[in-house]
Amino acid sequence: MFIQSKFKLLCASAAIALGVAMSSGAVKAAEMGSMHVAFGDIPGADMLGFMIAVKRAEARGVKVKISFLQSEDLASQAIVSGQADIGVGTPYALIQKVKAPIRMFYQLSKLAFFPIVNSEKFKGWKDLDGQPMYTHARGSGTEAIMNLMATKNNIKYSSMSYVPGSAVRAGAMLQGRIDATIVDAERRTLLMREGKGKFALLPLPKIDASDEALYANADFMTKNEEAINILLEELVLTWREINKNPGYVSQARTQYNLLPDMPESDVAGIDPYYEESVETKIFDGNGGGEKAVMGDFEFYGFAGTIQGDTSKLTVDQFWNLGPLNKALDKLGRI
Amino acid sequence: MSSAIAEPVTTVLPKSTLDTMILWRTLSVLLLFGSWEIAGRIPISIAFPTFLETMDAFFTLIFDGRMFYAYAETLKPLIVGVGISAGFGISIGIGMGLNRTIQWLSEPIFIVMQAAPMAALIPLVTFVYGIGLAAKVCAVVILAAPIIVLNSYKAVTNANTSLIQMCASFQGSRMQQIIRVIIPDASPMIFAGLRLGVAAGFIGVILAELLITPTGVGDLITYHRSVAEYNYMYAAVFSIMLFAAVTVGLLEKAEIAFFRPERKQKKGG
Repeated sequence: MFIQSKFKLLCASAAIALGVAMSSGAVKAAEMGSMHVAFGDIPGADMLGFMIAVKRAEARGVKVKISFLQSEDLASQAIVSGQADIGVGTPYALIQKVKAPIRMFYQLSKLAFFPIVNSEKFKGWKDLDGQPMYTHARGSGTEAIMNLMATKNNIKYSSMSYVPGSAVRAGAMLQGRIDATIVDAERRTLLMREGKGKFALLPLPKIDASDEALYANADFMTKNEEAINILLEELVLTWREINKNPGYVSQARTQYNLLPDMPESDVAGIDPYYEESVETKIFDGNGGGEKAVMGDFEFYGFAGTIQGDTSKLTVDQFWNLGPLNKALDKLGRI
Repeated sequence: MSSAIAEPVTTVLPKSTLDTMILWRTLSVLLLFGSWEIAGRIPISIAFPTFLETMDAFFTLIFDGRMFYAYAETLKPLIVGVGISAGFGISIGIGMGLNRTIQWLSEPIFIVMQAAPMAALIPLVTFVYGIGLAAKVCAVVILAAPIIVLNSYKAVTNANTSLIQMCASFQGSRMQQIIRVIIPDASPMIFAGLRLGVAAGFIGVILAELLITPTGVGDLITYHRSVAEYNYMYAAVFSIMLFAAVTVGLLEKAEIAFFRPERKQKKGG
């Protein structure tokens, strides 16, 4: 009888202790803050790195909600209007032209695109003089790269047509509808594999500009400093882990049950995508920093996204590197 | 001798009523643009320009020629698409009205097409027609054709029975009934369907330019949105609304002038 009552008391104490621990955990989670991230694209393998960092930040008490919107423009509008807190993209024009109160704070990836041609028709850049060119969209990074190379090689395309999506342009190349375009790393590999020698890559100088960066309302960053710091620490650690071992993404996807409905064919593409991305060095282990911003000024200045004399621009006009530097001070720079 | 056919009632609006109508319509437009200007100045969003900023961008686009170039691109699929829809739609619609087999075969398809959100099919069009002109023409056709077909069908079905019987009593052949009575009697409604089809065609071409590949006015909208030049984006949107409204308005005028003289007189010219 005595043992039974003692056991009951023990159970009750354990239940109370568990309850207190859980409630203090909940309080802690609430204390760490919450954030709503808006992607301007459908979920895909390229977002897994970020989603892993988010899961790790959640484990440290940051509540994160992710929404997938139809376009980057919609996502940026959601951030500006306060319907979401963090966006993904490079909103230089939005900051410069309409003085949107947002700042970028972490470079997720660098631009990595590959000019590719039908080698039966073209051998080098000079052969593209007077030929039609196909890029993602007017004012896009792909158009800027192709225009940059046209200037450097003193050639002029007969026309510039816009075909959104590397996958669509790669499909058009395979079908023989177009003979020259620019695609991302995943489609470069696809074309080189499926083309069986029909396609050739054209040389491209190193372009050190951001493809995707995280940005947030400046006010949100000030008010949610702790949550942003935790997210940045986890991003830096995740990016370093991916650079060390690209297979980490697949492992972590299984561990955290991320994008469980992804088709098998896409799942099979995760490892090659991250291996290629690491190989082309698109993930900076230090989150980009000032060096990335300078690269952006040069490239987006040429592209026309940033207007005016870029040498007169300052980092603070577009970026808030304070939280990143704080995270790097803690974790160390590589 | 009095005419056997009743003359349409002529109720010309008095000048004072006409002036009042113009005054209220002008006020309506001013109220809209004034509200826009105020909303832009508040601003309701940093991406929402004022009316004056939008007009400034609108005239800049016109004077530097970009607007004309854009419309030259947009009108290609629109004209081809509306042309195909008109030719095919009127023929099928008349066929449906005259022949039960054609009616039974085609009616369910076009009723479903008219009721269903066909805009959702536009991205799928690329799987069949690729990303070029053909895909955009197809987008225009799938939006414009059902309206034209069903209006033509209803117009023929509702052709004046007395006139048809009169033609028969005068020993008119079936072909004469169709050519001389049914089609002329149905033509006002067929033309009205054509006007609505053109309006739907505008929706189709802009959706195609936004969802398939950005060209023409769709390109002006997407490009200026991507570089945060919102006054230019709104100017492009404004231009297409204005262009569509003017085109459909002119078609309505033509419809009244050529097919509905009684309405012309009622409106007071």
